[in-house]
Amino acid sequence: MEQVLATTLRSAAPLVLVATAGVFAFRAGIFHLGLEGLMISGAFTTVAIGDATGSVELGILAAIGVCMALSAVYWWVIGPLGANVIIAGLGLTSIGLGGTAFALGAIFDLRGSMFTDVVLPRPVRGATSGPGVIISEHSILVWITPLIVLVAWIVLRRSRFGLRLAAVGEYPFAARSAGVNPSIVRLQALLISGALCALGGAELSVGTLRNFTENMTNGRGFIAFVAVIFGAWHPIGAALAGLFFGFADAIGIQSQINITERVPREFVLMIPFVLTIFAVWLGGLWRRRTLEAEAGYAELREPDY
Amino acid sequence: MTVPSGPASAEVPAVRCRSLGVSFGTVQALHDISLDLAAGRIHALVGQNGAGKTTLANVLGGLQAPDNGTVCIAGNQIPSGDVRAAKSAGLAMVHQHFSLPPSFTVAEALELTAARPESHSVYRRTELYRRWQNDVAEVGGTNVLATRIRDLPVETRQSLEIVRALASEARILLLDEPTALLTPAATDTLFERLRGLRDDGVTILIVLHKLREVAAVADTVSVLRDGKLVLGPSEISGVSQGQLSDAIVGPAPDTDRAIAVEAATDVEQQLLLELVRVSSRESAFEPGLASIDLTVEAREIVGIAGVEGNGQRSLVSVIAGLSAVTEGSVLLGGEEVTRAPPARRRLRGLRLVPFDRNSEGISRSAPLWLNQSALRLIGRRGQFPLISLRQYKRQASEAMDLWRVRYNTVAQPAESLSGGNVQRLVLSRELASGLEVLVAAQPTRGLDFSATNFVRSSLRGLRDAGAGVLLVSSDLDELFELSDRLLVMYGGGIVARFNAPFDRQAVGDAMTGALR
Repeated sequence: MEQVLATTLRSAAPLVLVATAGVFAFRAGIFHLGLEGLMISGAFTTVAIGDATGSVELGILAAIGVCMALSAVYWWVIGPLGANVIIAGLGLTSIGLGGTAFALGAIFDLRGSMFTDVVLPRPVRGATSGPGVIISEHSILVWITPLIVLVAWIVLRRSRFGLRLAAVGEYPFAARSAGVNPSIVRLQALLISGALCALGGAELSVGTLRNFTENMTNGRGFIAFVAVIFGAWHPIGAALAGLFFGFADAIGIQSQINITERVPREFVLMIPFVLTIFAVWLGGLWRRRTLEAEAGYAELREPDY
Repeated sequence: MTVPSGPASAEVPAVRCRSLGVSFGTVQALHDISLDLAAGRIHALVGQNGAGKTTLANVLGGLQAPDNGTVCIAGNQIPSGDVRAAKSAGLAMVHQHFSLPPSFTVAEALELTAARPESHSVYRRTELYRRWQNDVAEVGGTNVLATRIRDLPVETRQSLEIVRALASEARILLLDEPTALLTPAATDTLFERLRGLRDDGVTILIVLHKLREVAAVADTVSVLRDGKLVLGPSEISGVSQGQLSDAIVGPAPDTDRAIAVEAATDVEQQLLLELVRVSSRESAFEPGLASIDLTVEAREIVGIAGVEGNGQRSLVSVIAGLSAVTEGSVLLGGEEVTRAPPARRRLRGLRLVPFDRNSEGISRSAPLWLNQSALRLIGRRGQFPLISLRQYKRQASEAMDLWRVRYNTVAQPAESLSGGNVQRLVLSRELASGLEVLVAAQPTRGLDFSATNFVRSSLRGLRDAGAGVLLVSSDLDELFELSDRLLVMYGGGIVARFNAPFDRQAVGDAMTGALR
């Protein structure tokens, strides 16, 4: 049981970080399907730069820079260039997945995965049994994730910037008549979103593990997007949804170890995804609320007449 | 005539614009507009739908950058298309459409749109409530602050728009058709408020449709026609109603007249629509129906009067088949349709001009021809499943030409039409063949007077051709003019029935529930 809870926290941390990224974008009216691509770019950059410089901090800073730059490009494509938000987001994901795999071969002449010595610090370690296991061996990012969620809540729900952001997502006309430039606010939201995705990717590659593997995000960016919807794009709601999906993941991992003799492995691997579908169905019950964020999306989707 | 001594009337005009021009694509929305608005007065701006009133208001408010020309507010030139500059020069806008995000609480919406010096970038809820409690005192007390915008009644939303504008200490107020959604009583309250503001030295520019309202509130009037300023600003006392309507309509006689309705001439049934003790569930905004009995016969217009929010929307959606009946039955042409879906009722000759034409009457993003053809497509059930697009587009464009919808191509999205043209589009679809009974909900709301006359004579034409019309309206003059019989709704029930000629006092009493 302790092991399941510990695994939950480890699996959930990247999901929660990326889901928080998704909340920022969603509230600005952007259905961000590029989360996966940003996440894997963050994971790769952290390992590549961290390994090259020997400093995990520099690796993470570089990852943040890369993801913010990619987010700015995404903004340029969907905003000023007027491309479809969904298609461009999926494109960003493809570029992230393909680009990192390509870079792995082109820069490091490696195929499949790359190991590194750099790793995030782990404040509490050493417990091997009892309740201590729950909090032991987590990277520093797992520890500060709740703090990030809290800050996100303050920014989104208790700050004037958050009001502007929500107005842009829900009703761009209101934002414009309040003297807010929706395009600039979307850029700001996407940059924040990019930085958070970089952290999520970093946790994935140098938090628990010490390597980068092709396609190591394995759909986590999309699950994080689902967490955004499931959590009704409230920063706390999305974080709880991320925690829930982390729990589902942990159950999957644990039962894989324990019950694979009786139940086919494939079914066990399906557990997180079945739970995800269930969650999406539940989220659909909040359908009415979904409409609130669609105006901003509609503005991006269709040109002004 | 002597000029009332507004604080700055002799000095710099509150708003001055010079040779403003705006065009959208090939359409010249504004053409060389130069205008001075004296401070401390109420200026009315009138004109037909699509004359450029909203565009001019948007340019003055900084929401729309003009192609050429300049805007000065209180003597300072404003960079074109800069909302914030216009705001800090003391100008605030009250939009035709509500400009506050529906999911925001009132306090959040005010914080978003009207910054105060003491506003910090991070706030606490109680702090917001404290900051804005004085501003909302007159629109429903302080407990309104925690309410979401979408849960407020229309009048409160409208007042809140003004609160928002004034909260930023505006000295110049632009109101774009603020009365379009208001009941007559709420309109009077609004005008009272505006006069009070004027007496405090606030300059007001108000876009209006009804000449009666212009006479009631304005000090000066200006007329836009086809994007040009054709009259004013002139003192209201120096302009006759006749001059005003001539200026609005223009020299060419208005060619609009009712379209001879081909429909409905072969209505055999006498009793077209019948509701027997119909009740329905209440909605978020309205009481449900309380055991309503109602009939509409051939060759009559039955008016439904009532203060808005007394069940009129429930009534229309029950007849249309959009909300469920809990008790009683609905009959169309003698056939029971209580549980029948909307399409079946359509096939039985029911037609509908819905309350909100933009969200219920059309699909905003769909092309014109598809909007126009919707009924013909429903009528095709059971026929060969392939259709000829060319034929449907041609029929749509013929119908729209007949109803004088102004459009460029049948492929343009319906949301690109102006309000009056959307209503024409809806009418061109609904008042086509097969009509036996029409439910018209606020059919002239927000329309200029030539479009209004057009709609009204169409309704009369329908009746004369043998159809039945149920007319729901909050405009008593309209109801008195058109109705053969008048029913008054109050609290979801019908509290009074009148036959022509109508007694305004008695109807008014019934509307306010005084009969109970």
